[in-house]
Amino acid sequence: MGTNNNKTNAAKRGIFTSAGATQKIVVILVIVALAVFFSVMSKPFRQYATLVSIFDYSYYISFMAIGVTFALITGGVDLSIGTGMITCGLVGGYVIAHKAMPVGVGILVALVIGLLFGLINAMTVAVMELPPFIATLCSMMLARGIGSILTGALSVTWPPAGSEQGWVRSFFKYKTEGGLLIPVGFLLVIIAVIVMSLILNHTRPGRYIIAIGSNKEATRLSGIKVRKYQGLAYLICGLFTGIAGIAYSCTFQAVAPGSGAGLELDAIAGAIIGGTSMNGGYGTITGTLLGVYVMSLLKTGLPYIGLQSNWQQIVTGIILIIAVLVDVLKNTKGK
Amino acid sequence: MERIKSNAFVKKIGFNRLVLFLVLLLMYTIFAILEPTFLSYNRILSALNYAYFLGFLSLGVTFVIATGGIDFSIGPVMFCAALISGQMLTKMNVPMVICLISAVLVGSAFGVINGYLVAFWKMPSFITSMASMMLARGIGSVFTKTQSISWPQSSQENGWFRIFVKYTIPGTTMALPTGLVFLLIIAIICAIILNKTRIGRYILCLGSNKEAVRLSGVNVKKWEMLAYIICGTLAGIAAIVFVGAYSTVQPGLGDTYNNDAIAGCVMGGTSMSGGVASIGGTFIGVMIISLLQEGILAMGFQKDWQYVITGLVVLFAVYADVRSRARKN
Amino acid sequence: MGEVILTMKGIDKTFPGVHALDHVDFELKKGEVHALMGENGAGKSTLMKVLTGIYKKDSGSIIYEGKEVEFGNPREAQSAGIVIVHQELNMMNHLTVAQNIFIGREIMSGKLINDAQMNRKAKELFDLLNIEIDPTEKMGNLTVGKQQMCEIAKAISHEAKVIVFDEPTAALTESEIEELFKIIRDLRAKDMGIIYISHRMDEIKLITDRVTVMRDGAYVTTLISESCTKDDIVHAMVGRVIYEEPKVKSNVPKDAPVVLKVEHLKAGRLVNDVSFELKKGEILGFAGLMGAGRTETARAIFGADTKESGDIYVNGELVEIKSPQDAVKSGIGYLSEDRKRYGLAVQKTVAENSTLAALERYMKGLFIDKRKENEVTQQYIDSLKTKTPSTDQLVVNLSGGNQQKVVVSKWLVRNCDILIFDEPTRGIDVGAKSEIYHLMNELAKEGKSIIMISSEMPEILRMSDRIVIMCEGKKTGEMLIEEASQESIMHAATLRD
Repeated sequence: MGTNNNKTNAAKRGIFTSAGATQKIVVILVIVALAVFFSVMSKPFRQYATLVSIFDYSYYISFMAIGVTFALITGGVDLSIGTGMITCGLVGGYVIAHKAMPVGVGILVALVIGLLFGLINAMTVAVMELPPFIATLCSMMLARGIGSILTGALSVTWPPAGSEQGWVRSFFKYKTEGGLLIPVGFLLVIIAVIVMSLILNHTRPGRYIIAIGSNKEATRLSGIKVRKYQGLAYLICGLFTGIAGIAYSCTFQAVAPGSGAGLELDAIAGAIIGGTSMNGGYGTITGTLLGVYVMSLLKTGLPYIGLQSNWQQIVTGIILIIAVLVDVLKNTKGK
Repeated sequence: MERIKSNAFVKKIGFNRLVLFLVLLLMYTIFAILEPTFLSYNRILSALNYAYFLGFLSLGVTFVIATGGIDFSIGPVMFCAALISGQMLTKMNVPMVICLISAVLVGSAFGVINGYLVAFWKMPSFITSMASMMLARGIGSVFTKTQSISWPQSSQENGWFRIFVKYTIPGTTMALPTGLVFLLIIAIICAIILNKTRIGRYILCLGSNKEAVRLSGVNVKKWEMLAYIICGTLAGIAAIVFVGAYSTVQPGLGDTYNNDAIAGCVMGGTSMSGGVASIGGTFIGVMIISLLQEGILAMGFQKDWQYVITGLVVLFAVYADVRSRARKN
Repeated sequence: MGEVILTMKGIDKTFPGVHALDHVDFELKKGEVHALMGENGAGKSTLMKVLTGIYKKDSGSIIYEGKEVEFGNPREAQSAGIVIVHQELNMMNHLTVAQNIFIGREIMSGKLINDAQMNRKAKELFDLLNIEIDPTEKMGNLTVGKQQMCEIAKAISHEAKVIVFDEPTAALTESEIEELFKIIRDLRAKDMGIIYISHRMDEIKLITDRVTVMRDGAYVTTLISESCTKDDIVHAMVGRVIYEEPKVKSNVPKDAPVVLKVEHLKAGRLVNDVSFELKKGEILGFAGLMGAGRTETARAIFGADTKESGDIYVNGELVEIKSPQDAVKSGIGYLSEDRKRYGLAVQKTVAENSTLAALERYMKGLFIDKRKENEVTQQYIDSLKTKTPSTDQLVVNLSGGNQQKVVVSKWLVRNCDILIFDEPTRGIDVGAKSEIYHLMNELAKEGKSIIMISSEMPEILRMSDRIVIMCEGKKTGEMLIEEASQESIMHAATLRD
């Protein structure tokens, strides 16, 4: 009976609707405020190169965040995306640089490895029913080890822009004849956002993933194969880890083995800032994208006001706590 | 099998712990056969170096896992504590004793943050502790201006603190593993806290069924928070033995030790779903992980195999725990 | 009323230790609202679970639309046209109304879900039912009443021919009930067969055509709603022979001091202005049907849930109870109906559970005094006759009755003077039951005061010195045991205003 009371209380406040839209508006305001703040505080911030750099950071975070949004919506999480992404970039780059494979093969390898980690997580979480955070922690360790082992613990550099094999980089940053850098990767992100929004909101798999996060038992009773769709969420997450790995490798100089731990938090923070609930059942891809820009804006902007990467970690930590706290309070409101 | 299990001596120690101990011995034997240097005293000492700080981390996280939570911040917190106190020692000329105390206090402070957010605000422990992992990495690095810190050698001034790790008998090259004694003492204290005091009783019971404990009129928030404070404090102590063994700490690192510590803990029989914990098990688990670390290198494998093996071990241990619980119900 | 659409004949079902259904007959016609009544545990829900394939019957036959059927699961029943609208709604709060109604059978256009079409279809359904719900609203934002209507719409969309309503009005407001009845009448006019499970007497007259009464797993009688009286139904529901000796006379002296006084307690919908007194050495029975608010009242007194208003006096003094901690300090102990969830840490030992509420008294300095702890645990194992090999046996390994004794010992170790037993014998076998009864009587004799919440009429009549009856969050009756009868209690328990 108690739950019924909670339901009615919750209903009165309408927590299932308004919060998402309001949160997005707040996040947009935060983005604007941050941009204004950095511009006022630092003159060098006000230049085109800064914008390009903001986009550079946004690519890999975006792809990871889009993927992890699916895991979060089921009520789970994927902690392996950070190291997983680096492993995808490493191994993909390794086959290009050391096995003389064409870039296309490298891309394929990166995607397949991402999917493999997705598959492992799907097995451990959906089939073996382990707690998602601990299951994906294990695959995070696996990713970290395997990445280094396969590449012999060496850093890997994807073909530089301008070189014969470097065409893939211009999918993210296109250099015009005049030497102007255009952040075309934004288009890729937008395409991914549109496609994944469509999948999340207008296809059966997406619908069932939301339903599982909202009420797993009721979903099962509606005759839906819960394991299959829960696993699918982690597969999607794995695929996007692969894509993020490519994006990371193509926007930055080198990929170093053993790095990547902690990067998953940028993506998870982005998703939660965008309104995706840690409790599952609610999340939007557009919200996630907005949240990601908060993170990449901070990553780019903080150094301009004299706060180097160590401060960024502190800021990430604080933001994560605030975002989760807001989410917790949102969900306990009315109880 | 049943006869062995019901033997009084086996019962007292615990069947699982005995098996774990045999695994430890077996591993050591295999390593010793494949690589005879493992029989040397110095090799053992160096393997133990890893076990000291990991032991403290793992003991601490045992308390948190016993409540049904998790702490992913312990490794970076240990580094943060070592960096802050090291900065105080080397750059600010603060007396050694105060530096050591502040290392412990830094750890406790993170425990307070984690515990408060988890127990009083009902935030999920894994994400909360990941956030404070970022805080710890950042703060440590900001405090030292991204410089790494080297603590004094035992021969140098202020080097006496290394007796927490190793004591070289004056005039000889004979080194005594005082760190092991230190770790054992703290482990025994932890075991007493967990099994003989109200703190441990409430922590274990609330890990088993928080609502029932609350409805018994117990202030569950307080005791849950305390588990995180114990964990943080032990991470602070871990910082001291870490620098005692390895001298140098770099900012921004430390998160891989979380996984090792958690692995040692779950391997030792502490249940991820809370309510069941064993300090003795954790102790043996830590020894296995440390031996593995040393062994992998000695066998000529790349050090990264350790991540893979640790990952698989945790996966297996957690799965076994989940299965055995499902069977009981 | 038209032809018979569903006949259940000689349905028999036994669970280990319980004969849940004893050759039950039931018949439903098209265009009929057929009430199914009985006390808690009479077997109504079990019968419906057999019908929809959740349970497999041991013997008997189900004839639906002229053919013998046996459904393997609720989905099979659903596709044949038999749908249950559950008391506890199974909804996905984050999805919209239309998305919930069509979950698992979304209308597709190509690979994409056609939400617009689904919204239109849902709207049509609602129009058909004459209800005003926006199909694009999130389910979690609707009131319970509206959510229920969505369930009905979902049932209709499955082209149901038989709809089972399981206590549909339990959580509804007055106006929502009106609306529901209008819909039910509409459905009846559309020649559907409706099975209506309810505890509310007044509704039976209002909405149903026939009433079938069950008692203790057996069919009792079928009455015509129009021509029967409330007394007829109550009599059929409770007309059992009680083998156990009911208490004849209160054991509590008239002038016994009041140890607990509750005044105008309010906490949510199910605790609405409850006042009562509990005397020293008394067993105060709390009777009522499911959802009457008895457990909620107990939890509010104990501080487990927050109360909105009301005063609680212990031994004449006003006490401020904001949490279970405060309640325990005032000497109140609460034994939940759900022992495993709220009463025990089952993975811990008997001793650990026994001293959980009073651990600070078993300390020797900083340490737990294990010897003293074992002593006191053993003392209560002996006096309560708990069957356990030792004090360090894990509670999970004990039987239900013995687990209950461990919970009791927890509060006795704490030395609580006021004990609230919530369904003390639920899930406990017959032998252990009488031990628990004996124990409660002993405790009362020693001067402990007991509130006993029970849904079992024989238990109420056997144990109580005085009886408080609740219905829908209000106290609707109070009587001394001398004045009480099954009928008078059932009357008060179904009283609505």
